[in-house]
Amino acid sequence: MTVLVIFVALLAMIFVNVPIGIALAISGVIGLLMTEGTGALVTVALDMYDGSTKFSLIAIPMFVLAGAIMNAGGITDRLINFVSALIGFVRGGLGMVNIGVSLFFAEISGSAVADVAALGSVLIPQMKRRGYSGALSAAITSSSASLAIIIPPSIPMIIYAVSANTSIEQLFVAGIVPGLLGAAGLMGVAYMFARRYNLPVEEAFNVAQLKRTFMDALPAFSLPVIILGGIFGGFVTATEAAGLAVAAALLVGAWYRQVDLKRLKSAMLDGGMQTAVVMILVAASVLMGGFLTRAQMPQELAQYMMSLTDNKYVILMILNVFFLVIGFFLHSVAAIILVVPIVVPLIQQVGIDPIHFGLIVTLNLAIGQQTPPVASVLITACSIARTNIWEVSKVNIHFIAVLLAVLLMCTYIPAIPMFLVDVFYR
Amino acid sequence: MKKAIETLLEWVLILLMVTLTLVVVVAVIYRKLDASLSWYDEVASVLLSWVTYYGAALAALKRKHIGFDTILLAIPMPARMWAVAAAEVLVIAFFVLLAWAGWEVLQVLEGMSLISLTWVPVQLTQSVIPVGAVLFIICELASLPEYWRATAAGISFEHTEIEEEIERAKQA
Repeated sequence: MTVLVIFVALLAMIFVNVPIGIALAISGVIGLLMTEGTGALVTVALDMYDGSTKFSLIAIPMFVLAGAIMNAGGITDRLINFVSALIGFVRGGLGMVNIGVSLFFAEISGSAVADVAALGSVLIPQMKRRGYSGALSAAITSSSASLAIIIPPSIPMIIYAVSANTSIEQLFVAGIVPGLLGAAGLMGVAYMFARRYNLPVEEAFNVAQLKRTFMDALPAFSLPVIILGGIFGGFVTATEAAGLAVAAALLVGAWYRQVDLKRLKSAMLDGGMQTAVVMILVAASVLMGGFLTRAQMPQELAQYMMSLTDNKYVILMILNVFFLVIGFFLHSVAAIILVVPIVVPLIQQVGIDPIHFGLIVTLNLAIGQQTPPVASVLITACSIARTNIWEVSKVNIHFIAVLLAVLLMCTYIPAIPMFLVDVFYR
Repeated sequence: MKKAIETLLEWVLILLMVTLTLVVVVAVIYRKLDASLSWYDEVASVLLSWVTYYGAALAALKRKHIGFDTILLAIPMPARMWAVAAAEVLVIAFFVLLAWAGWEVLQVLEGMSLISLTWVPVQLTQSVIPVGAVLFIICELASLPEYWRATAAGISFEHTEIEEEIERAKQA
């Protein structure tokens, strides 16, 4: 009964646009009042403080900051030039370039909206000039930027790892193969469209040009090397890699002479605010988590589901559908914080690896970013392309289908995400 | 008034972010030199908490907290504005509670200090809860008129934010 009251209250608050973190905290307070009485209210301050000091989450401000500095630091054009020299000779090359550069960007930044704004505002007008429809340009930009959230570093992955009490580093590794697979699939669909509309090739393949653009972009590659190499080589933790990424982003920005104090100030503010917005959710989840544990809610859910079926493939399918639907309506970080703590006991009981499940959750929410009403990445791309969201969605369905196929493959062939994890860690 | 709060919070947040970045980078270097800093974990955690609450107040001033306004904007007028009023009252009530609880906790923490840096009183580090809560209330109220007008006109704040992001990317 108490649980029902609290979930109704939570939904009602979210519907009238109470910030989700604060709605969660208020629900936690209601739970506290109903189970412990007014005497326990003072613990609200303790929980909200503890929740905001989770050490491993320090990686979040660092990655957001590194990304914001890079976005301001003149890296976009250089990456585009390099990737263009690398794959621009294919039919529909600019679409391929868009997908390829998104992968690099994903290596750096945690914020998909900022990335779409940075990349899209350069590439979408260029694509339209080369004969791509606005809808196709926006669909390619949007779907590839969303795929980026399963490629490390990823803020939703960090939040998942902390919520499910598992390893950030291993989850990062699990994202690599699915990320590359997804990118290949998106490129395939882009190529299909390029053939259908006879879109142009960009430039003939030229080794000298490739070498020149590579050297020009070389300092920027230091970031993925530091982040991936450092973490996978076991030299640094995710948090340390994030700190080093900020230092490297500053050096690269200085090298390109494009980071000035004004941009640095706005990068710091962005990083600080984006972190705060996420951390308020995390802190509130500690308050709510206390109540859920007392009410035995996750355990009861696990028992109930197990009484229906103990087949882990069926349970995975149910959870997939559930996360897809919730991804339509909730920002990915909010969805993880609300749902993951409740389903973790269930996945443990049916024997699903929490790292494998983390990849599935993140991929689901990446797809959710492509579907209105809550679809900030898609809306940003549409807004740059000045195209109606429904026109874009009609094209985007093909790209979403690729992401869904990758999701199913990763769900039912655990080796796809887990192979590298086994190699590096087990 | 709103501008003054904004400038103040911006500089506090920048200062905290710079300090946090320096602490993290210096700590990696020391650890790699086999001279791990004993205070690193504790101090970095406190800084994260300060970034959270000072940043949250600033985000409230700019209405950047993660929310879901599709249903709210679909409610017909004037019921929509009653819903907005109810939501604002709830948010402010929560932070009043948090400020009070945070203040009570501070009284209990009298005389305690951080474990690794005994000259830093816990009363200072945990002051962020009552101070942050009061700042949040001020910022929520200061940004309310603008949010009220936008919501009455049926304009989503998320879209304004996206426009700003695109504008900035074009300048970069």
